[in-house]
Amino acid sequence: MVQFTLRRLGAGVVLLFAITTIAYLLLYLSGGDIARQILGQTATEETVAKKAEELGLNEPLIPRYVNWLSDALHGDFGRSWFSSQPVAETITSRLSVTLTLVVGTVLISAIVSIALGVWAARKRGWVDRLIQVLSILGFAIPSFLIAILLVNVFALNLGWFQPTGYIRWSASPAGWLESVTLPIIALSIGAVAAVAQQVRGSVIDAQRQDWVRTLRSRGVRENKVIYKHVLRNAGGPALAVLALQFVGLLGGTLIVEQIFAIPGIGPLTIQSTTQGDIPIVMGVVVATGVVVVVVNLVFDLLQGFLNPKVRLS
Amino acid sequence: MFSKKRALITTAAAVSVAALAGCSGGSSSDPTTSGASEGGSESGGTVTLGVIAQVTSFAAANANWANESPMMQAVYDSLLRMEPDGTISPNLATAWEWSEDRMTLTLDLRDDVTFTDGTAFDADVAAQNILRFRDGTSPNASNLGRVADATAVDEDTVEITMSEPDPALEVYLTQNAGLQESPAAFDTADVDTVPIGSGPYTLNVGETVAGTTYVFDKNPDYWNPEDQHYDRVVANVYTDSTAMLNAVQGGQVDVASVIDLTQLDQMTASGYGTVTNQLDWVGLILADRGGVLNEALADVKVRQAIAYAFDRDAILQAFSAGYGTTTGQIFPTTSSSFDEALDGTYPYDPEKAKSLLAEAGYADGLEITMPSTAALNQSWLTLIQQQLADVGITVVYEDVAPANFISDMVAGKWPATLMILQQDPSDYQLASFQIAADSTFNFLHYEDPTVEELIGEIQLGDEAAGAELNQYIVDQAWFVPFYRTDNTKVVAEGTTAEAQTGNTWPYLWTIKPVG
Amino acid sequence: MSQSADVTLEVAENVGRRSHLARRMLKNPTGLFAIIVIALLILMAAFAPLLTSQDPDYADIRNILASPSAEHLLGTDSAGRDVWARLVFATRYSLLGAALATFLAAIIGVTSGLIAGYYGRWFESVSAWLTSLVMALPGLVVLLAARAVIGPTLWGAMAIFGVLLAPAFYRLTQAAVMGVRNELYVDAARVAGVKDPSIIGRHILTVVRAPVIIQAAIVTLIAIAIQAGLGFIGMSDPTIPTWGGMLNDAFTKMYQQPLLLVWPASIIALASVAFALFANALRDELERSAKPKKAKSKTKAAVNAEGAPAEVHAETEAAPRDLLLEVDGLVVGYDQPDGSLTQVVNGVSLTVRKGEVHGLIGESGSGKTQTAFSILGLLPEGGRVAAGSIVFDGDELTGKSVKQMRKIQGKRISYVPQEPMSNLDPSFTIGSQLVEPMRETLGISGKEAKARALDLLAKVGLPDPEKTFRSYPHQVSGGQAQRVLIAGAISCEPDLIIADEPTTALDVTVQADILDLLRGLQQELGVAVLLVTHNFGVVADLCDRVSVMQKGRIVETGPARSIFAGPRHAYTQSLFDAILEDGAARGSLSHSSDRHVNAGGAK
Repeated sequence: MVQFTLRRLGAGVVLLFAITTIAYLLLYLSGGDIARQILGQTATEETVAKKAEELGLNEPLIPRYVNWLSDALHGDFGRSWFSSQPVAETITSRLSVTLTLVVGTVLISAIVSIALGVWAARKRGWVDRLIQVLSILGFAIPSFLIAILLVNVFALNLGWFQPTGYIRWSASPAGWLESVTLPIIALSIGAVAAVAQQVRGSVIDAQRQDWVRTLRSRGVRENKVIYKHVLRNAGGPALAVLALQFVGLLGGTLIVEQIFAIPGIGPLTIQSTTQGDIPIVMGVVVATGVVVVVVNLVFDLLQGFLNPKVRLS
Repeated sequence: MFSKKRALITTAAAVSVAALAGCSGGSSSDPTTSGASEGGSESGGTVTLGVIAQVTSFAAANANWANESPMMQAVYDSLLRMEPDGTISPNLATAWEWSEDRMTLTLDLRDDVTFTDGTAFDADVAAQNILRFRDGTSPNASNLGRVADATAVDEDTVEITMSEPDPALEVYLTQNAGLQESPAAFDTADVDTVPIGSGPYTLNVGETVAGTTYVFDKNPDYWNPEDQHYDRVVANVYTDSTAMLNAVQGGQVDVASVIDLTQLDQMTASGYGTVTNQLDWVGLILADRGGVLNEALADVKVRQAIAYAFDRDAILQAFSAGYGTTTGQIFPTTSSSFDEALDGTYPYDPEKAKSLLAEAGYADGLEITMPSTAALNQSWLTLIQQQLADVGITVVYEDVAPANFISDMVAGKWPATLMILQQDPSDYQLASFQIAADSTFNFLHYEDPTVEELIGEIQLGDEAAGAELNQYIVDQAWFVPFYRTDNTKVVAEGTTAEAQTGNTWPYLWTIKPVG
Repeated sequence: MSQSADVTLEVAENVGRRSHLARRMLKNPTGLFAIIVIALLILMAAFAPLLTSQDPDYADIRNILASPSAEHLLGTDSAGRDVWARLVFATRYSLLGAALATFLAAIIGVTSGLIAGYYGRWFESVSAWLTSLVMALPGLVVLLAARAVIGPTLWGAMAIFGVLLAPAFYRLTQAAVMGVRNELYVDAARVAGVKDPSIIGRHILTVVRAPVIIQAAIVTLIAIAIQAGLGFIGMSDPTIPTWGGMLNDAFTKMYQQPLLLVWPASIIALASVAFALFANALRDELERSAKPKKAKSKTKAAVNAEGAPAEVHAETEAAPRDLLLEVDGLVVGYDQPDGSLTQVVNGVSLTVRKGEVHGLIGESGSGKTQTAFSILGLLPEGGRVAAGSIVFDGDELTGKSVKQMRKIQGKRISYVPQEPMSNLDPSFTIGSQLVEPMRETLGISGKEAKARALDLLAKVGLPDPEKTFRSYPHQVSGGQAQRVLIAGAISCEPDLIIADEPTTALDVTVQADILDLLRGLQQELGVAVLLVTHNFGVVADLCDRVSVMQKGRIVETGPARSIFAGPRHAYTQSLFDAILEDGAARGSLSHSSDRHVNAGGAK
């Protein structure tokens, strides 16, 4: 187990290196006059040149990347070129918000989709068909439409929630809950649709297993058969889909964060990439990479926990 | 969609000022709003601003202005202050005087001001701040480009010496060039993120989320408590027009920038008042007057034909829902060189445009390449393309990343472009920014002897030369301005603000609770 | 930004016969709906110029944001362009863009998946690594950065997106190919000297074809969503009308002309739903075709329990024991979608007396296992007792609810399955699977149940009960697992054990041991056993009485000795003849399709 974890982390480091290299190269190529972009149209050419010099923008690609890499290896990700904020701090603060949304969404959608998936798989018939249709709608309707609908109905018309912004848990737990409710609902609908389908399928598959009949023949209560045995065995594929959702949501929160003006990683990514704020973009790339590696590892370990064959080999 | 209306707005109008001419700024509408208290003024004295720009740097030496001015004014005092109408009044400097040759400005400073870290403000600090700004990387660093030196004469007197006269220096000292930062902060690692000034508020670093929310707490020891109208100032950054609209409709902001003027009706319908001035002109820059990239544009008839091709009223309606004033000149109404008659030089006349093109030898049409970018509104570009297509001119758009738009433009990559540009209040500023051969926005650096001669006369203080220059470039159709756009802030009930001459944001101390 | 694209993975393993899949899709209502919508969209794209007289690019500055009118069917946008015309042309470009992404993703993914799956080795490791690389790279950063390099073209963005989505196809193909790589027919082709490309083309590609189509529908859907997302953030291609571009324009004017948002949003939703439904319907049809036919004999919905009466041998015992189980006229059938009933048991009557071993014998497909399941009350999904009665110890079992049956199951009637390995939950230890039913049915404490379980494990002859107790099913052999299952069957002291071919799946050497165990336990506990088998040797060994089944009917029944002495029915006689000819024919019999029915068609 420990060896497995270490090996995966090692592979993750190599992966991170590759990702940062590709990202840096891409950013370099997309280039542009970043100093001008920072200073805007009023600055004189002289000031622009001074700024470029200050940021080391005149250096060629390789020394710039090597510089960044060696600083990064020492834990120094630099400062944003556009807001002077330390990258590490900015990313941490942004990522914590996005992860709150993503983890919240994953938890909610796990619970809801397990409930719906099991219900559909057990009842079949019209319940199944209804849930299937809803899943397809949830899967197909873009989340921003849902988000806009939610803002208009629940925030602007009914006034139950605030339409924009994010309140930290530390500042006010009630406010936090209020500020994340609509975004999490908007994000969850698509995730629930995907995961519920998977749960339904795996529960149906698991229900058809021979050992389910044997358990029943032993007089084990139906609820125990379903929720203890079937669900445990159906959990693997559902977890795999959840893991994909987790990774997908990292990018998928973007539009929802935009609509709700939530200070997550999404708007930062777009803004920094379009501006050419390389320190921030690289920070985003590293952070996303780390999260993906860690999340995949965690889900694999969970997978092992569910499946003794994996765990014991 | 959020990146669209930003790049241009954020930087425009940073330095425009009407003070020199002693005029009142823009066409500001009724700034006050009525009645019932709501939002900030009620809840323990917090005012929430909806701004569209994050703070580029909190270091005074690198400070931006315009859309960042509220955040800067919260933490810093400037040497001089500008009233909403453009008059300059004392602030940290109580009195100031030019030398006869206008090469030396002497300022008397207050001696009772301390920075929030306890350091005292004195003449030496002021001198250092001035020089640091000159040598820093603020977009407006060049404002102090003619400052040769700044020295402390005594404890509370500072002397600025010039390399050549600059009549706008006092105006600059009311803006970012005049911000005063504690010398203890100069060389700290977090000088760009943790401001130490003497201003009415201090940055609450703990609650601030850079780029999103800036929280400022009242400075209990402020020397001028009259300017502190709130216990707390919060500035939320909205980069998306829909999010901003939602925030306004949800009553989450007290004063907010209007990102998209076509949404203004929805905002006012939610009970918000407006504060408006006009700082920018919207239109085309026909930069290739020399025909370097497109020889057709060297022909004045072609340029005039383009000017005749646009239905300005319809454009104003389509682009900004009518919030603005159509115009044919780039000089502001506040300039003595402004001539209302010039606005009628090129009425909408496609037939005339076609005949001019035919006269110029382009009866079969011609092609012009212009930049297209996500930083510009796509439907604007489409409409411009169509208006020109109607008279036989094909516009080929060349897409450019928003990050490269301005730099590629000023590097002279295109013969013409759609642009939103500030109407600098002094003729000389305006000419040296947009007209002169070496100016940034004469980006193909076309040199016209008549123009250069007139600019020389303006520099020498000849007011008539300005009017002549205006007339000349309108006749020559160097630019095709469509309209002056409204710069509007919405203000919640219970809050008032005053439009500021030469700045997109009302100055912070004019934002007050009602009553 | 990326949605899960992996939902079809499992289907690849399930691909069975694919005959007339297209025709079945057209008969499936959702499939038909999806196909019609997709076809309409494609027609709209193809004949765009015929559908509107307006120029989609003509911008009328004096007519911006107009409401729908005769001239402008859906009104005009913020640049005064005709919305209907733009919608029609946007359909063309958006679908083409999505098709490009899907095509590229499929080409790259399927090709590399085929190679990785077929040849494995280093190519697979490299591809797997590249896949995780692509997944860990923030797609948005790549798209935006690439946009700055190659410009805002829709085709460029979709091409890049196609590359980013290739892993969805890669994983699907690779898994499917791994699955069939070593199948007999592929081996056979290889041995026959068929070249690799030809094997891939003929045998392997056919296996992944349908799953790839499903995946393609999903990727198309995702590509459409991405276009919309790019439009939302203002990154759509400004030079051509696209759904994303229209959305972008509509967003900025959302409050002035909300209708503008309706058109692109609806068509995007409609297209997405159609592609999702298409994928779903195709998957359903594939899963259906993967299931073997339920039974050979088909009858109308009306229950048919008639037939020649069974040959009944006279009882030989002077004082027959009390009746424990009495099955009378049992008909079991499966409801079909068309309303008919496929009958698998056609009026079976049999009795089991207390403490006796009753053999139920017949060849595969004769309905003996179905009969056993009906008595247990555990017919597979879709199956039901259509007629007849099952009286157990004076209690009518048919018509009892699941809950009521659960009181009888385990405690009164228990079950020894055919295939030991698949009848233990792989996720729990053997011990916990023994303890759980005892605690529930006997109401004893965990500690007590554990002690009992260890006793039972010792009793069924497992050498190290403690170790077996702690083991997971995959850690024991088939013979051991069957002993565990027998221990489970007797754990709650039932009156009747239904043993369904308890030795069929085991090695020949183990079979005798298990039979010995069963006989010993039966004698010791005095429990009745209904032994389902196709093996007369087993019957001769164990049974007091025998019923012979053929085609869902009992053809001959009576004391074992009488039947062995003088089989009367031709079928019984033929069974005897078969044993004489080929003593160990069970190899082929054990792969009976009737077992697959039991397993519900899951592979």
